[in-house]
Amino acid sequence: MNLDTTYLTELLLNGLMVGLLYALVAAGLALVFGVLHIINFAHGELMMIGGFVMALVLPALGLSYWPSLAVAALATALAGVVLYELFLSRLGPREFERSILVTLGISMVLLYGAQYWFSATPRIVDTQYGFEGLEIGDIRMTWTRVIGGGVAVLAFGGLYATLRWTQFGRAMRAIAQNREAAAMVGIPQHRVARHAVALAAGLCGLAGGALAPIQLVQPAMGQAVIFKAFALVVIGGLGNIPGAVFAAIALGMIESWVGGFFDIVWQETSVFLIMIVAVILRPDGLFQRGGLRVG
Amino acid sequence: MRLALPVALVLLVALPWLTASTYIMGIAVSGVLMTVAAAALNLVYGFAGLLSFAAIGFWGVGAYCAAITVMDWGGSFWSGVALAGLVNGVLALAIGVPMLRTRRHAFVVVSITFALLCALVSRDWTAVTRGPMGIPGLPAPSAFGYVFAGSARFWFVALGFSVLALALLHALGTSRIGLVLKAIKQNEPLAQSQGISPLPYKLLAFVVGAVVTGMAGGVMAFHLGVVDPLIFDFYYMQTFLIIVIIGGAGSFWGVLAAGLAMVVLPEALRASNDLRMVIYGGVLVVAMLAMPRGVAGWLEDRRVAVLRAKLR
Repeated sequence: MNLDTTYLTELLLNGLMVGLLYALVAAGLALVFGVLHIINFAHGELMMIGGFVMALVLPALGLSYWPSLAVAALATALAGVVLYELFLSRLGPREFERSILVTLGISMVLLYGAQYWFSATPRIVDTQYGFEGLEIGDIRMTWTRVIGGGVAVLAFGGLYATLRWTQFGRAMRAIAQNREAAAMVGIPQHRVARHAVALAAGLCGLAGGALAPIQLVQPAMGQAVIFKAFALVVIGGLGNIPGAVFAAIALGMIESWVGGFFDIVWQETSVFLIMIVAVILRPDGLFQRGGLRVG
Repeated sequence: MRLALPVALVLLVALPWLTASTYIMGIAVSGVLMTVAAAALNLVYGFAGLLSFAAIGFWGVGAYCAAITVMDWGGSFWSGVALAGLVNGVLALAIGVPMLRTRRHAFVVVSITFALLCALVSRDWTAVTRGPMGIPGLPAPSAFGYVFAGSARFWFVALGFSVLALALLHALGTSRIGLVLKAIKQNEPLAQSQGISPLPYKLLAFVVGAVVTGMAGGVMAFHLGVVDPLIFDFYYMQTFLIIVIIGGAGSFWGVLAAGLAMVVLPEALRASNDLRMVIYGGVLVVAMLAMPRGVAGWLEDRRVAVLRAKLR
């Protein structure tokens, strides 16, 4: 096997990109689990909403990328608030199976509703950047990919800062670490939970919007990512955001390297095998420290 | 009430003479097979309390086993379905032991991952499964020179299998084992304090559930006449779950009634497949928020309330 540096670097960068976008979804999932103790099956459909908003708003705004992305993230965050107020706020923290089944039902309504409304045909999304790309030496990446990766990194910076230094972030961590103690010192649980779901949905919308020009937009786009995101969140340690992010990036890289060097058949199979083995060996996750912690 | 079961059974056996429509017979065949899979899921989730998404994996593996036995190894339909049960039993035993050691969050995720892995293998292991093209042209089963061709004749195979499988599940559910499973689900530490080890019971429910689901999937393959990776479509899993939830997890007869209702209703409404799944999803959300224990649980609560009122 000849190791071509250009090829290796392209694989590395592509893996990093995919990993970062998985990580945005997984981080939101970990956040919702940490604060509400709910595994949100409708999370992938939130991403799908972000993708569809991007696809519908872009032509209306004359293909300008940034305003459309902002609209996608905000609309999805709003959808998150509605989701919380209507359904999630009615679920208690100990009703684990019930929360799974309710969110599964919501995910079915959104997914098949989108298929009924928009049909299952994938849409190609064009932006102001088209297929132009960034070239460094022999390595070439389209702008939409570069920007997608950049947006993800910025979003993580923002998430980290929010969790570490703002009052709202401290409140979320407090609830995740000890619900009763948080209630005792007067942290408003419902308001913090609503904000947490909105934040997680916003991250999802951002991922969906950024992914729209890179992949095709279709109702099932969320399903493909969400199951991987579940496993990532469990591998990272439930509710542990840095753990989930680390697992996501590692997995994205492994996926593109395996796809690059072995038979394509092994690409996704290997990822799922790694997940099963990791979860069975360490049921509490690789980085479990308990609660929602940062830094 | 004592007459209800024999009457229902006679009506079901007579169904091909009551309707001439192959469309209705086709729906009836897939309806009973999905009800069997849902009843098996009820054993795993309703009795043992394991929310396992692996059922869809077993369903598809069973379908592929039965199809490959007939098409590649020259076996009969009957040996194919039997092999589907055997393979799924071994598979469930192999993955069940490590899976049951995990906590419930991890269990759910591993079961989903297993189902996805099965779908990927069916798509990518082209040497055995023929990949996305699937295995078309499965022949109709035959016994003693009689060929069960067409939905109206295949109905007897599906019905016979379903009655046997449901009888097994009912016997297991009402046996001492079923009671122990319910006790474990209600309060595991209390069951342990009575000297019950939960693991073997949970494993038994998981394996029996897998065997029955796999055999139902094997029969389903011959009803469809083709096996392709779509047999792992999450749509089947969602249907099984809806049937269990609406019927009431842990209630055998509730799940049976819900299975028949959930298959007949959308067809009566003539809804498209996407719209049907939207309805199912809405029903799931409303049911979980309003009647967390299903129709059977809701009826039980009403009965207890009436009893209490009388005692007052």
